[in-house]
Amino acid sequence: MSEVKIRLGHLFPELLNLYADQGNIAVLKRRAALRNILLEVTPIKLGNELKVEDFDLLLLGGGSDREQAIVGKELAPYREDLQAAIEANMPILAICGGYQLLGKFYELANGERIPGLRLVDMETKPGHGRLIGNIAIEWMAQNESSKELTIVGFENHGGRTYHDYPALGKVLKGHGNNGRDHLEGLQYKSLIGTYIHGPLLPKNPHLADAILRYALNYRGHFSLLEALDDQLEWDAHHAVLQELLGNKKYARVRQRLC
Amino acid sequence: MSMAEWASTDFEAMRVIKKWKSRLALWVGQITLYVLRLIGRRGTSLPGFLAYRLSPDLLFNLLTQLDTCVFVTGTNGKTTTSALLYSILSDEKNLWLTNKDGANLMQGLLAAFLPHVTATGRLGLRKAILEVDEATLPRITERFHPTMVVVTNVVRDQLDRYGEVDQALAMLRQGISYPGIQLITNADDPLAASLGIERELTSFYGMDEVLQDTQTRNEVRDGAFCLMCGQEIEYSHTIYGQFGHYHCPNGDFTRPTPDYGGILRANDASLIVRWRKRNTEVEQFAVPSPVIGLYNYYNLLAAVATACTLGISTRKIVEAVTVYEAPLGRMQVYAGTPERILALIKNPAGANSVLRTIETDSRAKAVCFAINDADADGRDVSWLWDIDLESFLATAVCDRYFCAGHRALDMALRLLYAGVQRKQIEILDALSDVVKATESLDVPVYVLSTYTALYPLGTYLREASR
Ligand SMILES: [Zn+2]
Repeated sequence: MSEVKIRLGHLFPELLNLYADQGNIAVLKRRAALRNILLEVTPIKLGNELKVEDFDLLLLGGGSDREQAIVGKELAPYREDLQAAIEANMPILAICGGYQLLGKFYELANGERIPGLRLVDMETKPGHGRLIGNIAIEWMAQNESSKELTIVGFENHGGRTYHDYPALGKVLKGHGNNGRDHLEGLQYKSLIGTYIHGPLLPKNPHLADAILRYALNYRGHFSLLEALDDQLEWDAHHAVLQELLGNKKYARVRQRLC
Repeated sequence: MSMAEWASTDFEAMRVIKKWKSRLALWVGQITLYVLRLIGRRGTSLPGFLAYRLSPDLLFNLLTQLDTCVFVTGTNGKTTTSALLYSILSDEKNLWLTNKDGANLMQGLLAAFLPHVTATGRLGLRKAILEVDEATLPRITERFHPTMVVVTNVVRDQLDRYGEVDQALAMLRQGISYPGIQLITNADDPLAASLGIERELTSFYGMDEVLQDTQTRNEVRDGAFCLMCGQEIEYSHTIYGQFGHYHCPNGDFTRPTPDYGGILRANDASLIVRWRKRNTEVEQFAVPSPVIGLYNYYNLLAAVATACTLGISTRKIVEAVTVYEAPLGRMQVYAGTPERILALIKNPAGANSVLRTIETDSRAKAVCFAINDADADGRDVSWLWDIDLESFLATAVCDRYFCAGHRALDMALRLLYAGVQRKQIEILDALSDVVKATESLDVPVYVLSTYTALYPLGTYLREASR
């Protein structure tokens, strides 16, 4: 049997590694391998040329303000390529600082604006204090077969993000994009931006599978991913969810979304 | 009454009010402390909390009464370094003040002073060695300048508290920016060392030679970038985490030559200290290590460097370290069947160095992780995924894993994705189950615990060891 391959480009792992993004990669890799799919990871470091057409999936993690500014500059020449790939349904997973970088700018508390990649019409502004804590959202997944529709994780961001795209989900508990509109993250085609780390994917195997499927589809494979034994993953997911929502709300959410 | 007179009485009145407020704060703190002691409760934060709430000035009144004051700050190793230093510096004839319990915020520092102050506000001791939180340091030094500040290292830690590494570095830089403060810092950590570059009154310590292991490691290296030009720093020699011998390829930032160079030839050997004095004379001496683990050798070296800078004789240093007893979580061995060893882990760099120490034990073993996510542990458990478990799995002989604590399931997932089989992982409902779950094992059990699980575990393991 010829092995199916997914080529993952990990953008600037040496800079954007603040929230354990290798955890996300470990999850994608293992879940792919269990389906006989090879996930090939290429770190793209500062100064390396980025050939967007060489990849089926890109990962952009979180870093400090200083590191984000460096990455913004480094990626600017590839803006057009990235935009075209997104329109063609290339999956990109952008987390925390990486998420902020997708938009027009990220404004710091001192008023300075770090220019973004302008891949989506989105702005991030400073606010009072950081938004920190465990978070649970209701996944507004389009065309998902998963019967579990909650996502859990941790958020920690100073910036407040505003956009008019569909959100990744509705906040059940936590702050989300800006602490105001009860929405978290963004999904445009196969581009996913989110503040949720923890890391994001280990406790959210349904989301990990969705991303793998986007990548396979983008590459022209439309077969289904076989189900895995995710008992431990869901145990960990529900332990956080239950504690976060409290027993009553958890019971209601569980009935509706799980 | 003229305007000037008005203003001066006003000022005088303010001064008197402040003085009495500060006196009141002292009494409230001391009475609370006394009452708590009477009812047998020690080590609570209440006295310091109340006193600080009533008068933040009180802490500064007391600090200014000191002749010598050393602050120990940095991400990791503050408590061990301070404890080692305290044992070197303090004896019956020459007592130093310290915050032994590691309460290192404003109110914790104040609490450490309370038992040593007279009712009229006079401090009985003249010297202090205090562990100070990185964010608290600049808030103190803007009003009080200590004799010395020791910065152990600057690594990623409890990000949900401070935001980011850059911010921690900025706070430290601000904290030591006043003239007259002697800085002692780690030459092998590019971030900590950057604080001392071109700074007067700065001494560096660092490992000149460490036994090399050949395994390449996949650790996150914080500050792997030159702070001058942004270029990735190159290492000619890595020691652990971000520590090593490094330089910027553009030549604008290089590891400073340490004034106190350490040589470590085996993992449980004495630390040889090479003291390069200003007059180019070199004094070399060996210090026995009361603590195991490479990171603890750094703490030991930091303490020795500080003591030497304070003028303590090398003979006295060696004597004190020989009889030193380590605080909980520094690889205490609880004898018994099985033998259990307790270690504190609180961030990836610390956890990696604990794992590396365990790897040097060639026996087959079991490992138990106790992971909580209370404020003191760090609420964000992302850091578990930055631990380099993969190279531990490749090196160590270990096929039994136990996960306990509030985030046991997160840890179990981490192990699963590192390549441990599900059937090798046992999830425990309570910390108290650790003893029972491991009692039939015939291999040593390493128990790695976050802060809030450490003390309960210490008690269980001690009882089981009797
Ligand atoms: Zn440089």
